[in-house]
Amino acid sequence: MREPSETRGPLILHLEDAPPPTPAEAPPVDGEAPHPPAMARALRRAGNRRSGGLAGAFWSLLAGFLLLALSLAAWDWATGLVARHPLLGSAATVLLVALGVVALAVAGREVWALRRLARIDALQRRAAAALSGDSVAEARGVAADLATLYGGRPALAPAADRVRARLTEVLDADGLLRMAEAELLPGPDAEALAEIRDAARRVAALTALVPLPFADMAAALALNLRMIRRVAEAYGGRSGVVGSWRLVRAVAGHLIATGAVAVGDDMIGGLAGGTALARLSRRFGEGVLNGALTARVGLAAVEVCRPLPFLSRPVPTVTGTLSGALAGLFARGNRRPDPPG
Amino acid sequence: MIGGLATGAWDATRNLAEGITAPFRDPVVRLGVTGLSRAGKTVFITSLVANLLDRGRMPQLRAVAEGRVLAAWLQPQPDDNVARFAFEEHLAALTAPEPRWPEGTRRISQLRLSLRLAPEGLIGTLRGPRTLHLDIVDYPGEWLLDLGLLDRSFAEWSEAALARAEGRPGGEAFLQAVRAVDPSAPADEPALKALASVYAAHLAASREAGFADCTPGRFLLPGDMEGSPALTFAPLPPAPDAPRRSLWRECERRYAAYKRHVVQPFFRDHLARVDRQIVLVDVLGALARGPQAFESLRGAMADLLAAFNPGRSAPLARLLGQRRVERILFAATKADHLHHAQHPQLAALAEAMLREARDRAAFAGAQTAAMAIAALRTTVEDRVTHEGRTVEIVRGRLADGRQVALHPGDLPEDPGRLLAPARAGAAEWPGAAFALPELAPASLTLRPGEGPPHIRLDRAAEFLLGDRL
Repeated sequence: MREPSETRGPLILHLEDAPPPTPAEAPPVDGEAPHPPAMARALRRAGNRRSGGLAGAFWSLLAGFLLLALSLAAWDWATGLVARHPLLGSAATVLLVALGVVALAVAGREVWALRRLARIDALQRRAAAALSGDSVAEARGVAADLATLYGGRPALAPAADRVRARLTEVLDADGLLRMAEAELLPGPDAEALAEIRDAARRVAALTALVPLPFADMAAALALNLRMIRRVAEAYGGRSGVVGSWRLVRAVAGHLIATGAVAVGDDMIGGLAGGTALARLSRRFGEGVLNGALTARVGLAAVEVCRPLPFLSRPVPTVTGTLSGALAGLFARGNRRPDPPG
Repeated sequence: MIGGLATGAWDATRNLAEGITAPFRDPVVRLGVTGLSRAGKTVFITSLVANLLDRGRMPQLRAVAEGRVLAAWLQPQPDDNVARFAFEEHLAALTAPEPRWPEGTRRISQLRLSLRLAPEGLIGTLRGPRTLHLDIVDYPGEWLLDLGLLDRSFAEWSEAALARAEGRPGGEAFLQAVRAVDPSAPADEPALKALASVYAAHLAASREAGFADCTPGRFLLPGDMEGSPALTFAPLPPAPDAPRRSLWRECERRYAAYKRHVVQPFFRDHLARVDRQIVLVDVLGALARGPQAFESLRGAMADLLAAFNPGRSAPLARLLGQRRVERILFAATKADHLHHAQHPQLAALAEAMLREARDRAAFAGAQTAAMAIAALRTTVEDRVTHEGRTVEIVRGRLADGRQVALHPGDLPEDPGRLLAPARAGAAEWPGAAFALPELAPASLTLRPGEGPPHIRLDRAAEFLLGDRL
């Protein structure tokens, strides 16, 4: 039973200074906040995951400690050597100093390569933002930076000039990016695809011909790494060791994120093309399969390294790339590889 | 009656013949450029053709970006009995050292642009390059308004016309003249002629003031029919028991003759058989002229667009010669008078303004889109600091040669803010003001291979023609 004092009468407050309500933007009364699909959420988590604070600190400290110990030991050894045999010791010191200088240069190149990669990453992010926000100013910046990035290549300099000339004339975000893509990216695309075809062909041939079970795997791994690096270079990213490692991780992440579905789609075609071969020889079938996987890795590398998404140009498919690659493998020996694009 | 049947049968036969022979001839796309007087039809056609001939400025037209358009040629035009569109003269006027807008269109003209396209795919490679003809018709925008008459009887039209006359320039003089005559009296040619000329003067005056719905259009621009009975009538108040040969009956007869001899042939020969349609609307100009002019433009466009037959034509129906408008683009013109930050609002306003036509077309299966375009760009963008805040403006040249920095007014995000007061008949825009000075075309220095500058003309062409290229 309620107490009579708890029943409430009508309540009307006059809000003089409050801003007027905007029911058009209020959340729905009985609706929930929209959930992204489970897969998208999982992907976002996977994408955002950085190595945790504690583990990261542990590994960096350990690496620093080992590096210190190593360089101290080398120093002690060199000074000891100077004390014992002055001539040998000074030679060792010179070597050590030269080694240090070269190591510094290598580190500098790594940093530079990482910055190139980061620049392409930033371009990708800004392009996505310009597309989703329909922001002309942002898209104009992206197109101008792309023209600078590729303007240094002699083959692309006229295209870069054309893009710069049209920058203020096109007033649509997607139009600007489409124009930049159509003018600047066909060359790098063709270069990257040629690298992928080449790698897929080599991997397929290796698997089919090399009889040792682990040798072919190691060779395929090396070929894949080289392909990823060259794809990045085709799009203007230089990569050193650290850069390559980052690239490989990004490509692997991309493969895991998209591959589960896409491999299923693409492989049907690849396998259908490969079945006849597989009937002839188990190893040839394996070769085709490995070639398809390499092509898949290569296309993931393209998606990671390309500064713009595929807007107006056709997205390359695994099946198409693979058939191009295998046409080169099984055709007569004097045939040139497919013309790019 | 029998004449109408015969004409209908002849049309059907002609369409059927065209449909059956179509697969064996080069494909033709008929682009209908729809717009009232001063909406920019002539400049649009001139700029489109010039930019298709010199394709340097068309990066958003995909076939051009991919290099599939090999060549373009302005043909001698296909119909022997229609004047050719004076493309060279119009282009010369726009690109002269002292550029000026082309004269208003006074008659129907037509042109055919033929495009040579690189082959695509396996079958295309076997066939070699293909040809696509693009037919465009230019006509006085005043005549377009008459399409709204097709579905109206004389009594309905009279009622609407008399209601509109109140409060518009010259309307009072006309209403007095109407009150002075007796609709049931026998028709008297001199009196009728005088009445018609007062009505024509009223139409001309209200068009000068910016009102769009001034029908019949031939009263404003008679062409070679000037003085003929079909152009000598006026709206009259209802007279239900008017006897035969009375003034009212005579006007009704002439109104029917006007529709039969003027409106229907114009529509049938030049407008009905289009595949793609672009509707040019001078939204900014109507905004600057005030809510009443805006509402009159909206009503007129809704009326005339109802005459078209949008939808997707089925392959079999196409073979039998049935044509429907498959794609309609609603374009707000003069987008160069506005900084690009406000272009989305302008396009949304045009779309909301033509909402009925768009919904009807979309429901029938046609593709529709709305864009803010400028067929000839006359301004450059800039920003200035005015009264302590930064304003994004455009800079252009007035007709008298002075430079001007221009911001026509903030367009609202929600077009309803403007449509609702206009519909309610407000005299001023509530809480907003717009102004739009007339800009002259800028003098141009074109590099080889470049057409005249524009805003989104390539995107409009991609929407209208992209799938056929």
